[in-house]
Amino acid sequence: MPLKIDNYSNDILKNISFILESREHLIILGSNGVGKTTLAKVLCGITPSTAVSIDTIIPSKIYGEKRAKLINYIPPKLNIFDEFITVHEFLELGFMDGIVRVQHLTGIDDVLQKLHITHLAEKACKMLSSGESQLLLIASALLHNARYTIFDEPTANLDPKKMQLLFGLLKDDHLLQSKLIITHNLDLAYKLGYNILFLEEGAIKFYGSSSDFFTQEHLDRLYDGSVEKHENNILVKL
Amino acid sequence: MKKIILLFALALLTTAPFFGQIELPISELLHMDSMEHKVFFDIRLPRVLLAFLVGGILALGGLIFQTVFRNPMSTPFTLGVASGATLFTAIAILLGFSTLSPLFAFVGAMMTVLILFGVASRFERYDSSSLLLVGIALSFFYAAALMVMFYISSLQESYEIMRFTMGSLDIVGFENIIILTLTSAFLLAVIFKYRYELKLLLTSYEFAYLKGINVKKTNYILLFAVSVAVGVAVSFTGPIGFVGLIIPHILKTIYKQSADKLILPIFFYGGVFLVLSDLIARNLNTMSDIPIGVVTSFLGAPFFIYLLIKRKSS
Repeated sequence: MPLKIDNYSNDILKNISFILESREHLIILGSNGVGKTTLAKVLCGITPSTAVSIDTIIPSKIYGEKRAKLINYIPPKLNIFDEFITVHEFLELGFMDGIVRVQHLTGIDDVLQKLHITHLAEKACKMLSSGESQLLLIASALLHNARYTIFDEPTANLDPKKMQLLFGLLKDDHLLQSKLIITHNLDLAYKLGYNILFLEEGAIKFYGSSSDFFTQEHLDRLYDGSVEKHENNILVKL
Repeated sequence: MKKIILLFALALLTTAPFFGQIELPISELLHMDSMEHKVFFDIRLPRVLLAFLVGGILALGGLIFQTVFRNPMSTPFTLGVASGATLFTAIAILLGFSTLSPLFAFVGAMMTVLILFGVASRFERYDSSSLLLVGIALSFFYAAALMVMFYISSLQESYEIMRFTMGSLDIVGFENIIILTLTSAFLLAVIFKYRYELKLLLTSYEFAYLKGINVKKTNYILLFAVSVAVGVAVSFTGPIGFVGLIIPHILKTIYKQSADKLILPIFFYGGVFLVLSDLIARNLNTMSDIPIGVVTSFLGAPFFIYLLIKRKSS
């Protein structure tokens, strides 16, 4: 079940083509405004395109559980219209058929525990801090459990402890089949060790293994010397 | 708090038919052929039921519009849908098809919804404030068109249209009540069938889409159901503003629950609100009843401004 995008272009992106095999992960890097989120929205079907397919199925052409099972997108920020939907209710919505069963409820409890947010279960989503709502989004991704899950800057608002927690989850191969992670955190990208896709001016500048990407010479070329590989860490020079 | 309000509402509903310009002693009511009996069953009771059902439909219509258009100030009235229904009812009167006015009103309502969607799809990004402005522009356009109707109509038609646009719950007998009951049942059935989708729409369009929902189709179905119901309601009573705007807000503030759980309460209290407004209109001891639209607007307009201020300051 490979995820495939074939020669896609729009106002921002240029000739994007790549294939991601089932059970493989990918990290998407690039500066602000190069089209990472645009690419994510095209892949998951929010911006419909026939250039995207998962095992010959075009996600934006189908509806219901069938599509939901294929691909999911986790935005950088939680966006909720209703003021009073609670964390628990939000997670209940993760189940496709609209019926909450007993095993679902234990599933929700497990996930809440895993992310250390059990105490927030009855709180209204609108009242969460940005870090808490980011954890809630991760929780909903775990419950949704699509074949491909795109995380758009999942670490943007997390404190160091929560960052460690999230790193553990993203690194865990038993959670979620295929993850696509958009991030600016190079150290996180390096430690995860997944393949890297680097976007520049809307086009793919690099698509390859983590070890090929994270050489000092390569980093200097891409980041104009602002990034340094120091022992086992990738540091931003400040 | 909730229980006290509920008790008050139930008391209001059961006693409402007894209040009015003519006193109705219960002893007289029981005589099948008395005047009191006739007034109670042919005029008062249908009127209270009419107010209740129309209030319920308008309040639910408000909730659905607020959810679909993602703006707390969207209602069938603020977006021009009710004005469309009003204009087309006036056209029906002018053409001599008064009996077909529900159908005309529906066409006017639906046409407006289609225009709104057409405009929204031209926006690069969905923008609820701009859509609200489009709705206001449409309302002005319809108001102007209504003026034209006045201009070309005869004195009697003109009076009929004028009475209609002020909103009125004058009714005799149960024929229209049956139609409105069926309409309410239809609206409630559609909303309950799409309850899960509605709840997803209460999060975000993207989230709903990623759960497999056909967002556009769901929106169309919900708006279609509201247009049918509001169209029918408006054709019977004329435009009655502000019910759809204030009831969902008040109930959310009282219940503090997500809107999908408030479908029945919003319908119920929308009905109660209009019964209460009608009671005020009927019992001010004026020469004739004050038009119901005047009462709801007097209550609703200040609330609308309050809402704007609160939104801007938070």
